[in-house]
Amino acid sequence: MAITPETIKRVTADLYDRSLRFIPKDSKAALSRADSLETNETARHTLQTMLKSADQAEKSWRFVCSDSGVPVYVIKVGTQARFEGNVRKAIVDGFAELVASIQPPLLPHVTNPLTLERGHSGRHMPIVTFDMVDDCDFIDITCSPKALGSGRWSAMEIFSFPDIPTIEAYVLDVVRKAGSQPCPPVVVGVGIGGTFDYACKLAKEATLRPIGQSHAEAMVAEMEQRLLTAVNKTGFGPMGTGGDSTATAVHVDYAAGHGFTPVAVTFNCWINRRTRARLHNDGRVEVVE
Amino acid sequence: MAIRTHHLTFPLSAESARTLRAGDMVVMSGEIVVTAGLPTHHRLLGCLDGAEPMPMDLDGASVFHLGSYSEEKSGGFEILYLNPTTSTRFNAVMPRLIKGFNWHAVGGKGGLDRPCVEALQEVGGVYLSFLGGGATLHTQAIRRVIEVGWSDMLIHYRLVRLEVENLGPVTVAIDAHGVSLYETIKASQTE
Repeated sequence: MAITPETIKRVTADLYDRSLRFIPKDSKAALSRADSLETNETARHTLQTMLKSADQAEKSWRFVCSDSGVPVYVIKVGTQARFEGNVRKAIVDGFAELVASIQPPLLPHVTNPLTLERGHSGRHMPIVTFDMVDDCDFIDITCSPKALGSGRWSAMEIFSFPDIPTIEAYVLDVVRKAGSQPCPPVVVGVGIGGTFDYACKLAKEATLRPIGQSHAEAMVAEMEQRLLTAVNKTGFGPMGTGGDSTATAVHVDYAAGHGFTPVAVTFNCWINRRTRARLHNDGRVEVVE
Repeated sequence: MAIRTHHLTFPLSAESARTLRAGDMVVMSGEIVVTAGLPTHHRLLGCLDGAEPMPMDLDGASVFHLGSYSEEKSGGFEILYLNPTTSTRFNAVMPRLIKGFNWHAVGGKGGLDRPCVEALQEVGGVYLSFLGGGATLHTQAIRRVIEVGWSDMLIHYRLVRLEVENLGPVTVAIDAHGVSLYETIKASQTE
Protein backbone atom coordinates (compact mmCIF):
# COMPACT_ATOMS: atom_id res chain seq x y z
CA MET A 1 0.00 0.00 0.00
CA ALA A 2 1.01 3.61 -0.38
CA ILE A 3 -0.02 7.14 0.54
CA THR A 4 -2.45 8.44 -2.08
CA PRO A 5 -2.76 11.97 -3.51
CA GLU A 6 -6.40 11.92 -2.35
CA THR A 7 -5.32 11.44 1.28
CA ILE A 8 -2.66 14.15 1.03
CA LYS A 9 -5.17 16.55 -0.53
CA ARG A 10 -7.81 15.91 2.11
CA VAL A 11 -5.42 15.98 5.10
CA THR A 12 -3.48 19.12 4.10
CA ALA A 13 -6.72 21.04 3.47
CA ASP A 14 -8.15 19.83 6.77
CA LEU A 15 -4.99 20.77 8.70
CA TYR A 16 -5.21 24.34 7.39
CA ASP A 17 -8.94 24.58 8.07
CA ARG A 18 -8.56 23.33 11.66
CA SER A 19 -5.54 25.51 12.37
CA LEU A 20 -7.75 28.58 11.99
CA ARG A 21 -10.40 27.54 14.51
CA PHE A 22 -8.64 26.64 17.75
CA ILE A 23 -5.38 27.32 19.51
CA PRO A 24 -2.90 24.55 20.35
CA LYS A 25 -3.04 23.12 23.89
CA ASP A 26 0.44 24.40 24.70
CA SER A 27 -0.55 27.95 23.66
CA LYS A 28 -3.52 27.78 26.03
CA ALA A 29 -1.36 26.51 28.89
CA ALA A 30 1.28 29.18 28.22
CA LEU A 31 -1.29 31.99 28.22
CA SER A 32 -2.81 30.72 31.48
CA ARG A 33 0.65 30.57 33.00
CA ALA A 34 1.42 34.10 31.76
CA ASP A 35 -1.85 35.29 33.30
CA SER A 36 -0.84 33.83 36.68
CA LEU A 37 2.55 35.58 36.59
CA GLU A 38 1.55 38.90 35.02
CA THR A 39 1.72 41.97 37.28
CA ASN A 40 0.02 44.44 34.91
CA GLU A 41 -3.77 44.47 35.33
CA THR A 42 -4.58 45.50 31.74
CA ALA A 43 -2.23 42.78 30.53
CA ARG A 44 -4.00 40.16 32.66
CA HIS A 45 -7.31 41.28 31.24
CA THR A 46 -5.96 40.99 27.68
CA LEU A 47 -4.54 37.50 28.36
CA GLN A 48 -7.89 36.37 29.75
CA THR A 49 -9.70 37.80 26.72
CA MET A 50 -7.31 35.87 24.45
CA LEU A 51 -8.26 32.64 26.20
CA LYS A 52 -11.94 33.57 25.96
CA SER A 53 -11.58 34.35 22.26
CA ALA A 54 -9.88 31.01 21.62
CA ASP A 55 -12.54 29.19 23.61
CA GLN A 56 -15.42 30.87 21.73
CA ALA A 57 -13.83 30.22 18.34
CA GLU A 58 -13.37 26.55 19.15
CA LYS A 59 -16.92 26.17 20.51
CA SER A 60 -18.53 27.94 17.55
CA TRP A 61 -15.93 26.49 15.14
CA ARG A 62 -15.22 29.96 13.71
CA PHE A 63 -11.87 31.62 12.93
CA VAL A 64 -9.83 32.89 15.90
CA CYS A 65 -8.32 35.57 13.64
CA SER A 66 -9.55 37.10 10.40
CA ASP A 67 -6.07 36.93 8.93
CA SER A 68 -6.01 33.29 7.91
CA GLY A 69 -2.55 33.96 6.51
CA VAL A 70 -1.20 31.82 3.72
CA PRO A 71 -0.94 28.04 4.08
CA VAL A 72 2.53 26.85 5.08
CA TYR A 73 3.41 23.17 5.44
CA VAL A 74 6.52 21.59 6.91
CA ILE A 75 6.64 17.99 5.70
CA LYS A 76 8.98 15.31 6.97
CA VAL A 77 9.13 12.33 4.62
CA GLY A 78 10.15 8.96 6.01
CA THR A 79 12.57 7.13 3.74
CA GLN A 80 10.26 4.11 3.82
CA ALA A 81 7.09 6.05 3.05
CA ARG A 82 5.62 5.19 -0.34
CA PHE A 83 3.62 7.43 -2.65
CA GLU A 84 1.03 6.62 -5.25
CA GLY A 85 1.02 9.74 -7.43
CA ASN A 86 1.84 13.42 -7.11
CA VAL A 87 2.37 15.08 -3.74
CA ARG A 88 2.89 18.76 -4.56
CA LYS A 89 -0.14 18.86 -6.88
CA ALA A 90 -2.30 17.18 -4.22
CA ILE A 91 -1.47 19.99 -1.77
CA VAL A 92 -2.23 22.71 -4.35
CA ASP A 93 -5.53 20.99 -5.24
CA GLY A 94 -6.42 20.62 -1.55
CA PHE A 95 -5.98 24.35 -0.99
CA ALA A 96 -8.07 25.20 -4.07
CA GLU A 97 -10.89 22.93 -2.93
CA LEU A 98 -10.76 24.35 0.58
CA VAL A 99 -10.97 27.91 -0.75
CA ALA A 100 -14.10 26.93 -2.71
CA SER A 101 -15.85 25.27 0.22
CA ILE A 102 -14.65 26.69 3.55
CA GLN A 103 -17.17 28.50 5.77
CA PRO A 104 -16.77 31.28 6.63
CA PRO A 105 -14.81 32.04 3.43
CA LEU A 106 -11.14 33.06 3.46
CA LEU A 107 -10.15 36.62 2.63
CA PRO A 108 -7.91 36.90 -0.47
CA HIS A 109 -4.57 37.06 1.33
CA VAL A 110 -2.38 35.35 -1.29
CA THR A 111 -0.46 38.26 -2.80
CA ASN A 112 1.72 38.52 -5.89
CA PRO A 113 4.71 40.41 -4.41
CA LEU A 114 5.44 42.19 -7.69
CA THR A 115 1.98 43.35 -8.75
CA LEU A 116 0.38 43.34 -5.27
CA GLU A 117 -2.62 41.56 -6.79
CA ARG A 118 -4.42 39.48 -4.20
CA GLY A 119 -6.39 36.27 -4.48
CA HIS A 120 -6.42 32.67 -3.32
CA SER A 121 -3.67 31.14 -5.43
CA GLY A 122 -0.23 32.00 -6.73
CA ARG A 123 3.27 30.89 -7.61
CA HIS A 124 4.69 28.44 -5.00
CA MET A 125 1.46 28.60 -2.99
CA PRO A 126 0.97 26.79 -0.60
CA ILE A 127 4.48 27.21 0.78
CA VAL A 128 5.83 23.71 1.39
CA THR A 129 9.20 22.36 2.51
CA PHE A 130 10.14 18.69 2.44
CA ASP A 131 12.85 16.92 4.43
CA MET A 132 13.83 13.27 4.45
CA VAL A 133 13.82 11.35 7.73
CA ASP A 134 15.77 8.09 8.01
CA ASP A 135 14.29 4.93 9.57
CA CYS A 136 10.74 6.23 9.26
CA ASP A 137 7.77 4.77 7.33
CA PHE A 138 5.30 7.67 7.43
CA ILE A 139 5.11 11.34 6.45
CA ASP A 140 4.62 13.95 9.12
CA ILE A 141 2.82 17.14 8.03
CA THR A 142 2.72 20.29 10.15
CA CYS A 143 0.55 23.18 9.02
CA SER A 144 1.65 26.57 10.35
CA PRO A 145 -0.13 29.32 8.38
CA LYS A 146 1.68 32.63 8.26
CA ALA A 147 -0.13 35.96 8.43
CA LEU A 148 0.97 39.56 8.08
CA GLY A 149 0.76 40.59 11.75
CA SER A 150 3.64 38.42 12.89
CA GLY A 151 5.16 37.58 9.49
CA ARG A 152 6.25 41.15 8.84
CA TRP A 153 8.83 41.27 11.65
CA SER A 154 11.14 38.35 10.94
CA ALA A 155 14.73 39.37 10.25
CA MET A 156 18.10 37.85 9.48
CA GLU A 157 21.64 39.13 9.60
CA ILE A 158 24.96 37.47 8.86
CA PHE A 159 27.86 37.87 11.29
CA SER A 160 31.50 36.72 11.17
CA PHE A 161 32.55 34.55 14.10
CA PRO A 162 30.09 36.25 16.50
CA ASP A 163 30.23 35.54 20.22
CA ILE A 164 27.04 34.57 22.05
CA PRO A 165 26.41 38.06 23.53
CA THR A 166 26.49 39.48 19.96
CA ILE A 167 23.95 36.90 18.80
CA GLU A 168 21.69 37.54 21.79
CA ALA A 169 21.92 41.31 21.34
CA TYR A 170 20.79 40.93 17.72
CA VAL A 171 17.80 38.78 18.74
CA LEU A 172 16.76 41.48 21.21
CA ASP A 173 17.17 44.19 18.55
CA VAL A 174 14.76 42.32 16.30
CA VAL A 175 12.33 41.83 19.19
CA ARG A 176 12.44 45.55 20.02
CA LYS A 177 11.82 46.44 16.38
CA ALA A 178 8.81 44.10 16.25
CA GLY A 179 7.70 45.64 19.53
CA SER A 180 3.96 45.93 20.00
CA GLN A 181 3.09 44.78 16.51
CA PRO A 182 3.21 40.95 16.16
CA CYS A 183 0.30 40.29 18.60
CA PRO A 184 2.34 39.38 21.69
CA PRO A 185 2.87 37.28 23.72
CA VAL A 186 4.76 35.72 20.82
CA VAL A 187 6.77 32.58 20.28
CA VAL A 188 10.22 33.62 19.07
CA GLY A 189 12.15 31.23 16.82
CA VAL A 190 15.90 31.72 16.40
CA GLY A 191 18.05 29.89 13.84
CA ILE A 192 21.82 30.23 14.09
CA GLY A 193 24.48 29.09 11.65
CA GLY A 194 24.34 26.86 8.61
CA THR A 195 23.70 29.02 5.56
CA PHE A 196 21.48 31.98 4.64
CA ASP A 197 18.52 29.76 3.77
CA TYR A 198 19.07 27.09 6.39
CA ALA A 199 19.18 29.50 9.36
CA CYS A 200 15.75 30.83 8.39
CA LYS A 201 14.37 27.31 8.11
CA LEU A 202 15.78 26.47 11.56
CA ALA A 203 14.14 29.59 13.01
CA LYS A 204 10.77 28.73 11.48
CA GLU A 205 10.92 25.15 12.69
CA ALA A 206 12.00 26.30 16.17
CA THR A 207 8.63 28.09 16.51
CA LEU A 208 6.93 24.73 15.96
CA ARG A 209 8.54 23.10 18.99
CA PRO A 210 6.04 22.66 21.86
CA ILE A 211 6.13 25.72 24.13
CA GLY A 212 8.35 25.15 27.13
CA GLN A 213 10.33 22.28 25.63
CA SER A 214 13.94 23.40 25.91
CA HIS A 215 16.67 22.57 23.42
CA ALA A 216 18.38 19.27 24.19
CA GLU A 217 21.81 20.89 24.56
CA ALA A 218 22.35 22.71 27.85
CA MET A 219 24.24 25.61 26.26
CA VAL A 220 21.33 26.33 23.90
CA ALA A 221 18.70 25.77 26.59
CA GLU A 222 20.46 28.34 28.78
CA MET A 223 20.50 30.78 25.89
CA GLU A 224 16.74 30.26 25.43
CA GLN A 225 16.13 30.99 29.10
CA ARG A 226 18.31 34.12 29.09
CA LEU A 227 16.59 35.40 25.95
CA LEU A 228 13.08 34.69 27.27
CA THR A 229 13.86 36.63 30.45
CA ALA A 230 15.31 39.53 28.43
CA VAL A 231 12.39 39.60 25.95
CA ASN A 232 9.88 39.71 28.78
CA LYS A 233 11.80 42.58 30.37
CA THR A 234 11.12 44.73 27.28
CA GLY A 235 7.68 45.41 28.75
CA PHE A 236 5.69 45.31 25.48
CA GLY A 237 3.23 42.88 27.04
CA PRO A 238 0.03 41.34 25.64
CA MET A 239 -1.04 43.16 22.43
CA GLY A 240 1.88 45.51 23.07
CA THR A 241 0.08 47.81 25.50
CA GLY A 242 2.39 46.93 28.38
CA GLY A 243 3.10 44.04 30.71
CA ASP A 244 5.48 41.25 31.61
CA SER A 245 4.26 38.77 28.97
CA THR A 246 5.89 39.64 25.65
CA ALA A 247 6.87 36.06 24.75
CA THR A 248 5.67 32.68 25.94
CA ALA A 249 8.82 31.03 24.58
CA VAL A 250 12.11 31.64 22.82
CA HIS A 251 13.19 28.54 20.91
CA VAL A 252 16.72 28.44 19.52
CA ASP A 253 18.28 25.94 17.16
CA TYR A 254 21.59 25.91 15.34
CA ALA A 255 23.53 24.22 12.57
CA ALA A 256 27.24 24.02 11.99
CA GLY A 257 28.41 26.36 9.26
CA HIS A 258 31.50 28.28 8.21
CA GLY A 259 32.78 31.39 10.02
CA PHE A 260 29.94 33.43 8.59
CA THR A 261 27.04 32.96 10.92
CA PRO A 262 23.51 33.83 9.87
CA VAL A 263 21.16 34.62 12.77
CA ALA A 264 17.48 34.42 11.81
CA VAL A 265 14.69 35.54 14.12
CA THR A 266 11.00 34.93 13.52
CA PHE A 267 7.74 35.33 15.42
CA ASN A 268 4.43 33.59 15.79
CA CYS A 269 1.55 35.49 17.41
CA TRP A 270 -0.07 34.43 20.69
CA ILE A 271 -2.23 31.84 18.91
CA ASN A 272 0.84 30.07 17.47
CA ARG A 273 -1.38 28.27 14.92
CA ARG A 274 -0.20 24.72 14.41
CA THR A 275 -1.86 21.47 13.37
CA ARG A 276 -0.14 18.21 12.55
CA ALA A 277 -0.88 14.76 11.17
CA ARG A 278 0.99 11.64 10.11
CA LEU A 279 0.13 9.65 7.02
CA HIS A 280 1.04 5.97 7.01
CA ASN A 281 1.63 3.62 4.10
CA ASP A 282 -1.46 1.58 5.04
CA GLY A 283 -3.73 4.60 4.54
CA ARG A 284 -4.00 5.43 8.24
CA VAL A 285 -4.20 9.14 9.16
CA GLU A 286 -2.94 9.87 12.64
CA VAL A 287 -3.99 13.33 13.82
CA VAL A 288 -1.22 14.46 16.18
CA GLU A 289 -2.76 17.86 16.98
CA MET B 1 -4.54 51.00 40.36
CA ALA B 2 -7.89 49.73 39.15
CA ILE B 3 -8.58 49.96 35.42
CA ARG B 4 -11.20 52.54 34.45
CA THR B 5 -13.70 51.04 32.00
CA HIS B 6 -15.92 53.45 30.09
CA HIS B 7 -19.11 52.50 28.23
CA LEU B 8 -19.34 55.11 25.47
CA THR B 9 -21.47 55.92 22.46
CA PHE B 10 -19.76 56.04 19.07
CA PRO B 11 -18.81 57.85 16.93
CA LEU B 12 -16.80 59.29 19.78
CA SER B 13 -16.96 63.03 20.32
CA ALA B 14 -13.90 65.14 21.07
CA GLU B 15 -15.34 65.82 24.55
CA SER B 16 -15.69 62.10 25.33
CA ALA B 17 -12.28 61.36 23.85
CA ARG B 18 -10.65 63.91 26.14
CA THR B 19 -12.11 62.22 29.24
CA LEU B 20 -10.08 59.09 28.46
CA ARG B 21 -6.57 58.39 29.74
CA ALA B 22 -4.02 55.98 28.26
CA GLY B 23 -4.52 52.61 29.95
CA ASP B 24 -8.30 53.03 30.33
CA MET B 25 -10.61 50.53 28.70
CA VAL B 26 -13.59 51.30 26.51
CA VAL B 27 -16.70 49.33 25.61
CA MET B 28 -18.32 50.86 22.55
CA SER B 29 -21.86 50.99 21.25
CA GLY B 30 -23.13 52.93 18.26
CA GLU B 31 -21.63 53.54 14.84
CA ILE B 32 -18.09 52.75 13.72
CA VAL B 33 -16.41 52.53 10.31
CA VAL B 34 -13.92 49.79 9.49
CA THR B 35 -11.40 49.09 6.73
CA ALA B 36 -8.12 47.16 6.55
CA GLY B 37 -6.96 48.63 3.26
CA LEU B 38 -3.95 50.87 2.74
CA PRO B 39 -5.24 51.58 -0.81
CA THR B 40 -8.48 52.74 0.84
CA HIS B 41 -6.54 55.23 2.94
CA HIS B 42 -4.71 56.53 -0.12
CA ARG B 43 -8.04 56.93 -1.89
CA LEU B 44 -9.37 58.91 1.09
CA LEU B 45 -6.36 61.22 0.81
CA GLY B 46 -7.40 61.69 -2.82
CA CYS B 47 -10.88 62.67 -1.65
CA LEU B 48 -9.33 65.35 0.58
CA ASP B 49 -7.60 66.65 -2.57
CA GLY B 50 -10.86 66.60 -4.50
CA ALA B 51 -9.94 63.66 -6.76
CA GLU B 52 -13.31 61.97 -6.24
CA PRO B 53 -16.38 62.33 -4.04
CA MET B 54 -16.45 60.66 -0.63
CA PRO B 55 -18.11 57.22 -0.65
CA MET B 56 -19.74 58.03 2.70
CA ASP B 57 -19.62 60.82 5.25
CA LEU B 58 -16.55 60.29 7.43
CA ASP B 59 -16.43 63.66 9.12
CA GLY B 60 -16.08 63.10 12.87
CA ALA B 61 -16.30 59.34 12.35
CA SER B 62 -14.65 56.63 14.45
CA VAL B 63 -12.56 54.73 11.91
CA PHE B 64 -10.73 51.55 12.80
CA HIS B 65 -8.15 49.33 11.14
CA LEU B 66 -10.38 46.29 11.26
CA GLY B 67 -10.61 43.76 8.48
CA SER B 68 -13.98 42.21 7.82
CA TYR B 69 -15.48 39.58 5.58
CA SER B 70 -18.91 40.65 4.40
CA GLU B 71 -21.41 38.89 2.17
CA GLU B 72 -24.26 40.50 0.29
CA LYS B 73 -27.50 38.88 1.37
CA SER B 74 -30.96 39.84 0.01
CA GLY B 75 -30.02 43.44 -0.64
CA GLY B 76 -28.11 43.87 2.62
CA PHE B 77 -24.67 42.94 3.91
CA GLU B 78 -23.80 40.43 6.57
CA ILE B 79 -20.42 40.53 8.32
CA LEU B 80 -19.07 37.04 8.88
CA TYR B 81 -16.00 38.14 10.85
CA LEU B 82 -14.17 41.20 12.06
CA ASN B 83 -10.64 41.58 13.44
CA PRO B 84 -7.91 44.23 13.75
CA THR B 85 -4.94 44.67 11.46
CA THR B 86 -1.57 46.32 12.25
CA SER B 87 -2.04 50.10 12.37
CA THR B 88 1.63 51.07 12.03
CA ARG B 89 1.27 50.26 8.32
CA PHE B 90 -0.87 53.38 8.07
CA ASN B 91 1.46 55.75 9.98
CA ALA B 92 2.33 57.87 6.96
CA VAL B 93 -1.27 58.63 5.98
CA MET B 94 -3.00 58.87 9.34
CA PRO B 95 -2.06 62.39 10.51
CA ARG B 96 -3.60 64.01 7.45
CA LEU B 97 -6.71 61.81 7.59
CA ILE B 98 -7.19 62.36 11.35
CA LYS B 99 -6.96 66.12 10.93
CA GLY B 100 -8.74 66.27 7.57
CA PHE B 101 -11.79 64.35 8.78
CA ASN B 102 -11.68 65.14 12.54
CA TRP B 103 -11.48 61.53 13.63
CA HIS B 104 -11.88 61.42 17.42
CA ALA B 105 -11.35 57.68 17.61
CA VAL B 106 -9.08 55.51 15.50
CA GLY B 107 -7.70 52.09 16.33
CA GLY B 108 -6.56 48.64 15.36
CA LYS B 109 -3.57 46.90 16.85
CA GLY B 110 0.11 47.67 17.27
CA GLY B 111 -0.21 51.45 17.63
CA LEU B 112 0.67 54.59 15.67
CA ASP B 113 3.74 56.83 15.68
CA ARG B 114 4.48 60.30 17.09
CA PRO B 115 3.03 62.42 14.22
CA CYS B 116 -0.23 60.48 14.63
CA VAL B 117 -0.17 61.04 18.42
CA GLU B 118 0.19 64.77 17.76
CA ALA B 119 -2.64 64.75 15.20
CA LEU B 120 -4.89 63.00 17.69
CA GLN B 121 -4.00 65.53 20.36
CA GLU B 122 -4.80 68.35 17.96
CA VAL B 123 -8.31 67.12 17.09
CA GLY B 124 -9.10 65.53 20.45
CA GLY B 125 -8.82 61.88 19.47
CA VAL B 126 -7.74 58.53 20.89
CA TYR B 127 -6.21 55.34 19.50
CA LEU B 128 -7.90 52.16 20.69
CA SER B 129 -6.08 48.79 20.76
CA PHE B 130 -8.27 45.82 19.82
CA LEU B 131 -7.45 42.20 20.61
CA GLY B 132 -5.73 40.58 17.62
CA GLY B 133 -7.17 37.10 17.22
CA GLY B 134 -10.44 38.23 18.75
CA ALA B 135 -12.56 37.64 15.65
CA THR B 136 -15.31 35.69 17.36
CA LEU B 137 -15.68 38.19 20.20
CA HIS B 138 -15.57 41.27 17.96
CA THR B 139 -18.03 39.77 15.48
CA GLN B 140 -20.58 39.02 18.22
CA ALA B 141 -20.90 42.77 18.88
CA ILE B 142 -22.11 43.62 15.36
CA ARG B 143 -25.78 44.56 15.19
CA ARG B 144 -26.05 45.54 11.53
CA VAL B 145 -24.25 46.87 8.49
CA ILE B 146 -25.37 50.45 7.88
CA GLU B 147 -23.55 51.11 4.62
CA VAL B 148 -20.65 49.91 2.48
CA GLY B 149 -18.42 52.27 0.53
CA TRP B 150 -16.19 51.47 -2.44
CA SER B 151 -17.61 48.05 -3.24
CA ASP B 152 -15.24 47.94 -6.21
CA MET B 153 -12.38 47.27 -3.78
CA LEU B 154 -11.32 43.96 -2.16
CA ILE B 155 -13.75 42.85 0.55
CA HIS B 156 -11.57 43.80 3.52
CA TYR B 157 -10.48 47.08 1.91
CA ARG B 158 -14.02 48.46 1.63
CA LEU B 159 -15.30 51.07 4.03
CA VAL B 160 -18.02 49.49 6.14
CA ARG B 161 -20.14 51.45 8.60
CA LEU B 162 -21.42 49.18 11.35
CA GLU B 163 -23.75 49.46 14.26
CA VAL B 164 -22.19 47.70 17.24
CA GLU B 165 -23.27 46.96 20.78
CA ASN B 166 -20.77 46.43 23.56
CA LEU B 167 -17.74 46.01 21.30
CA GLY B 168 -14.67 45.54 23.46
CA PRO B 169 -13.34 46.23 25.96
CA VAL B 170 -10.52 47.79 24.01
CA THR B 171 -7.51 49.57 25.51
CA VAL B 172 -6.93 53.31 25.16
CA ALA B 173 -3.35 53.01 23.94
CA ILE B 174 -2.94 56.64 22.83
CA ASP B 175 -5.00 59.31 24.55
CA ALA B 176 -6.04 62.79 23.43
CA HIS B 177 -3.45 64.39 25.72
CA GLY B 178 -0.39 63.16 23.85
CA VAL B 179 0.27 60.05 25.95
CA SER B 180 1.09 56.86 24.04
CA LEU B 181 1.54 53.57 25.86
CA TYR B 182 3.78 52.46 22.98
CA GLU B 183 6.15 55.36 23.64
CA THR B 184 5.98 54.88 27.41
CA ILE B 185 7.08 51.25 27.01
CA LYS B 186 9.96 52.15 24.69
CA ALA B 187 11.10 54.93 27.03
CA SER B 188 11.20 52.60 30.02
CA GLN B 189 13.38 50.00 28.28
CA THR B 190 16.94 49.79 29.47
CA GLU B 191 19.75 48.09 27.67
